[in-house]
Amino acid sequence: MQECVAAWLSGSPAQETAVYLLGNVPGLPPIAQSLHILGIAVVMSSTVMVHLRFLGLAAPSQNISEMIGRLMPWTWWALLTNAITGLLFVVARPNRYFFNPVFGWKFMCLVPAVTIALIIYQMSKREPGYWEQTAARLLSARVMAAVSLVLWVGVVLGGRWIAYTDYLYFLYE
Amino acid sequence: MNEDTSVPFPEFWNWVQALPLSEYIGFTWWFPFLESLHVLGVGVVVGSILMVDLRLLGKTALSVPASRMTREMIRWTWGAFVLAVITGTGLFMTRAAAYIENPAFQIKLVLLLLAGVNMAWFQFRTLRGVEEWDTAPAPPPAARVAGAASLLLWIGVIFAGRWVGHII
Repeated sequence: MQECVAAWLSGSPAQETAVYLLGNVPGLPPIAQSLHILGIAVVMSSTVMVHLRFLGLAAPSQNISEMIGRLMPWTWWALLTNAITGLLFVVARPNRYFFNPVFGWKFMCLVPAVTIALIIYQMSKREPGYWEQTAARLLSARVMAAVSLVLWVGVVLGGRWIAYTDYLYFLYE
Repeated sequence: MNEDTSVPFPEFWNWVQALPLSEYIGFTWWFPFLESLHVLGVGVVVGSILMVDLRLLGKTALSVPASRMTREMIRWTWGAFVLAVITGTGLFMTRAAAYIENPAFQIKLVLLLLAGVNMAWFQFRTLRGVEEWDTAPAPPPAARVAGAASLLLWIGVIFAGRWVGHII
């Protein structure tokens, strides 16, 4: 499937526009990348902080459902920012990303991580205090938080490794 | 190797990057590995500071006392900062002479220093009288200035840091 997307993007007006912008707007590549890292920082201080709270590792005095309502909307804005800044590079050089296994790994971490964040947010929004009402719910939230923490670390490390895929193959040689 | 350089101690930086450890990091998967951990560390440092800054600006989390927000976040800030410094030093070593004269790297160090001074000033001066405004809906000007300065400086650190790789 990714081959089709890469082929469809290659030579498209969208690709030409992205290549033109990255090459001609002064400082655009580092600016977009810096915003992308800033987006990561916001995810770390919103969804990741909520996960750490569930696991008893951060902000022990703060109420969990209040934290979810206060912090997690920041995650959606950060993800939007990162989708836009990330797409700029993907659209400009689709082959570099869609044929890169590390790019695939990153999204295999990102999709379930975002799904978990949505589940935690939506249930808490529908019913404040949802995750703390029964021991079973709290346990399931903790399991999701632990899994999601690993996934977010995978997203960040994978994202940085996309540019260094050669090293990975070097490692396995 | 940089023979003609305007920064102090050129021999020292050349010596650093010629160390076996520097060359090992630079020529193996350790470089991207440390770099990816660096991004993770930076994310947690700036993320946790962002929460404190926005609280000091009176923008978010007004139900949480400012002193408690500061206290609860600082351990994550410092833990991640240690990770970022260790991994950052590893990256720096590989091409020390080039990084030290890289303008983006120099700006990043200055911004880090200013962020540190701002943080120390806040910790030892502004936070002294926190009892009076801990739960107030609007923190005093000194706290708001500290929050705004910190926010701008750390965003600057991210931009300068990312720019380093585009100049080298």
